[in-house]
Amino acid sequence: MSSVPYVQRSAKPNGWWGMVIFVATEATLFATLIGSYYDLRFRTPHWPPPGVPDPKVAVPLILLAVLVSSSIPVQLASRSARAGRTVPTQLALLVALILQSGYLAMQIHLFVDDLHKFSPQGSAYGSIYFTMVGAHHAHVFVGILLELWFFLRLFGGNTVYRAVGIHATAFYWHAVNVLAIAVTIVQLSPSL
Amino acid sequence: MTAVAPPVGRSRTERLDLIWEERPGLLGWLTTVDHKRIGLLYFFTTLAFFGAGGIEALLIRTQLAGPNATVLSPEAFNEVMTMHGITMIFLFIIPMTTGAFGNYLLPLMIGARDMAFPRLNALSFWLFLGGGLFLYGGLLLGKGPNCGWFCYTPLNTRTYDPGLNADFYALGLIFNSVASTATAINLIVTSFKLRAPGMSFNRMPLFVFAMLAVSFSLVFALPALTTDLVFLELQRKLGFHFFDVAHGGDSLLWQHLFWLFGHPEVYIIILPAMGIATSIIPTFAKRKMIAFPLVALAELLVAFIGFGVWGHHMFATGLSVSTLVFFAAASMMVVIPSTIQIYAWLFTVNLGRPEFRAPLLFIGGFIALFVIGGLSGIMFAAIPFDQATTDTYFVVAHFHFIIFGAAVFPILGGMFYWFPKVTGRMYNERLAQASFWVTFAGTMLTFFPMHIVGLLGMTRRIYTYHSGFGWDSYNLAETIGAYVLTLGLLMIFANLLWSRFRGVLAGPDPFYGGTLEWTTTSPPPPYNFAVIPTVTSPYPNWDRDDSDGLPLDHGHETQATTVRDGYFDEVLHMPSESGWPIVLGAVAVVFFVMLLTTHYIVAGIFAAVAALTVIAWNVHEPPQE
Repeated sequence: MSSVPYVQRSAKPNGWWGMVIFVATEATLFATLIGSYYDLRFRTPHWPPPGVPDPKVAVPLILLAVLVSSSIPVQLASRSARAGRTVPTQLALLVALILQSGYLAMQIHLFVDDLHKFSPQGSAYGSIYFTMVGAHHAHVFVGILLELWFFLRLFGGNTVYRAVGIHATAFYWHAVNVLAIAVTIVQLSPSL
Repeated sequence: MTAVAPPVGRSRTERLDLIWEERPGLLGWLTTVDHKRIGLLYFFTTLAFFGAGGIEALLIRTQLAGPNATVLSPEAFNEVMTMHGITMIFLFIIPMTTGAFGNYLLPLMIGARDMAFPRLNALSFWLFLGGGLFLYGGLLLGKGPNCGWFCYTPLNTRTYDPGLNADFYALGLIFNSVASTATAINLIVTSFKLRAPGMSFNRMPLFVFAMLAVSFSLVFALPALTTDLVFLELQRKLGFHFFDVAHGGDSLLWQHLFWLFGHPEVYIIILPAMGIATSIIPTFAKRKMIAFPLVALAELLVAFIGFGVWGHHMFATGLSVSTLVFFAAASMMVVIPSTIQIYAWLFTVNLGRPEFRAPLLFIGGFIALFVIGGLSGIMFAAIPFDQATTDTYFVVAHFHFIIFGAAVFPILGGMFYWFPKVTGRMYNERLAQASFWVTFAGTMLTFFPMHIVGLLGMTRRIYTYHSGFGWDSYNLAETIGAYVLTLGLLMIFANLLWSRFRGVLAGPDPFYGGTLEWTTTSPPPPYNFAVIPTVTSPYPNWDRDDSDGLPLDHGHETQATTVRDGYFDEVLHMPSESGWPIVLGAVAVVFFVMLLTTHYIVAGIFAAVAALTVIAWNVHEPPQE
């Protein structure tokens, strides 16, 4: 463990940089998914194909707002952790976890609901729709696991190592939320 | 590595040894996080895969040596040909350059003691090994990938590939991508954050720039491959429809995503080679790289432009003309940063005092083969020419000049160059030079006739052919070349293996290299550097005395100091070797002999000659500051 306090480091820590490059490759993954979505869309006369309902607009947008708002407690947690304040960090993480878990639960419900209406095996639309949306939910799930891990670790007190982890996780969440905006807009685009 | 407090009362190196030393024996290798040991694990594993890929190449060439041969069945040929491509690209060149050379050398070059994420580094290796064994497991079960390395749809669909073959391909490569991505993240963060104090970006070795460019290419290119492979597996296993037109899919989507990865991939293969070339050339030309910042930018630019050219693999697929023209123009553009580098290499050699030892010979071979492969590459940027030669052996000739000639030759040269650093012993120079010429001749004989046979209409990926097309003698020459090439490679590895145990001790810096890896012992200790160096130049080993002493290396120089206190006063330009003193001495002898023998007129003449000599002596003044 470094003997230099976290706040006195002038460059960002290695863990944060590692997360940035990791997020860069994940964002590219979503870029290729979105690119594939439009590649398929512009080759198909009916999008979505006949028999498949247009995507709903209101509920996903409300859920998106909930998810994006979770960036605020995430950022607060990151700052408190770096300042060495354990309990405020945990509280902020808890708020974020509640918002994000609620979001994910609702989204899984919608995902299953969609599966009853149309299937990924029915058409290219279904294939790319479920793949792209599912990939995003998986990223939200991973983010929740990361946060939960640090929330539990903080019961043992704050350390420089944990503060770096929370700093990096906060960056991950901001990136996931930006990706959520992109994915939701693409997902809704046939109804807009 | 244990986090023990350094025992007091020992020398610094003893304490560092205790802190950094890993477990001995097999368990030590299995649990290692030392970048050098992980680099060696990568080296030997990729070398084994290189052997496998080489045997596959020989099988292919033996099958194609003459018409209607039956060495391999058509099915076996498809598997062997596919595995040859996958092995050489994913299991040899990328892990050899990033995993072995990058891992071993990058921390040494930037003055660090390990990579930024040592355990992630170890994980990368074990994932890579697992992915490689996974792919070869398929081959051993007779279910190896058999759809070519780019595995076009619909050949990769269940209809045409009902076995597990394409599943081994897709899952094996996803496996491999994860390992490569982890290595790339590690290399980027290491070169961003772990450089020795004083090593600003403009003092970073060009090899590190190349590794940085490769790693960024991997980070941004591999997701396209992963997406493509996930689509393929979802379609094959769960019945999704990404590529079948009947359900609204797009068969070209596979190709777009594949080449969006696949062309940056070409530069991922070639950039480390460029990095190795920029390490070897200055050492043996005894001169810093000329146009250092331009070469660094060119390396990054090659990687960047590499993302905009994937369409030139698809000129024959019926894309719109405007799309084709865009990709043709972008492909032409890659020539610019490549040419900057070629001229920088050539002029560095030309302006230096080159010593053509084995590593530099391999770089010379690399430049020659890269130019040939580059010229046929520019030809493909011309759309009509590409459409005429698509899927012929002309393409095979082109990319083997690039992949074997331009990517593997520097790897071989780099093996010789860093061999003394890694093992502490010298290779056999004479055998190394002989093996270069055998390898070079084998390469030309194997791959050059492929241009001709391609223009004569021989297509790629065919398992045999009939006689009477005029292809027979060229194919036989290629097969002979392949065996000559194998002989050359065996000479190289025999040399290295023998020298590992019997070579002369090399010492820390046998070639007088400029970068930091040459400042530590050979092989480096587990902690790399007993004292972390402070860097003041891109060639710290050559410039390292600048800061605390007087280098006085701009000419024949020494210092003058003040009389009483010995303060530094001025630089004296001392004269170099001269014939005038002996001439003047001889003239003086004659003069005195003439005086002795009372030949006063002759003595006067020699006095004049002496005066002329003194004038000549003083014509050249020391250079001004």
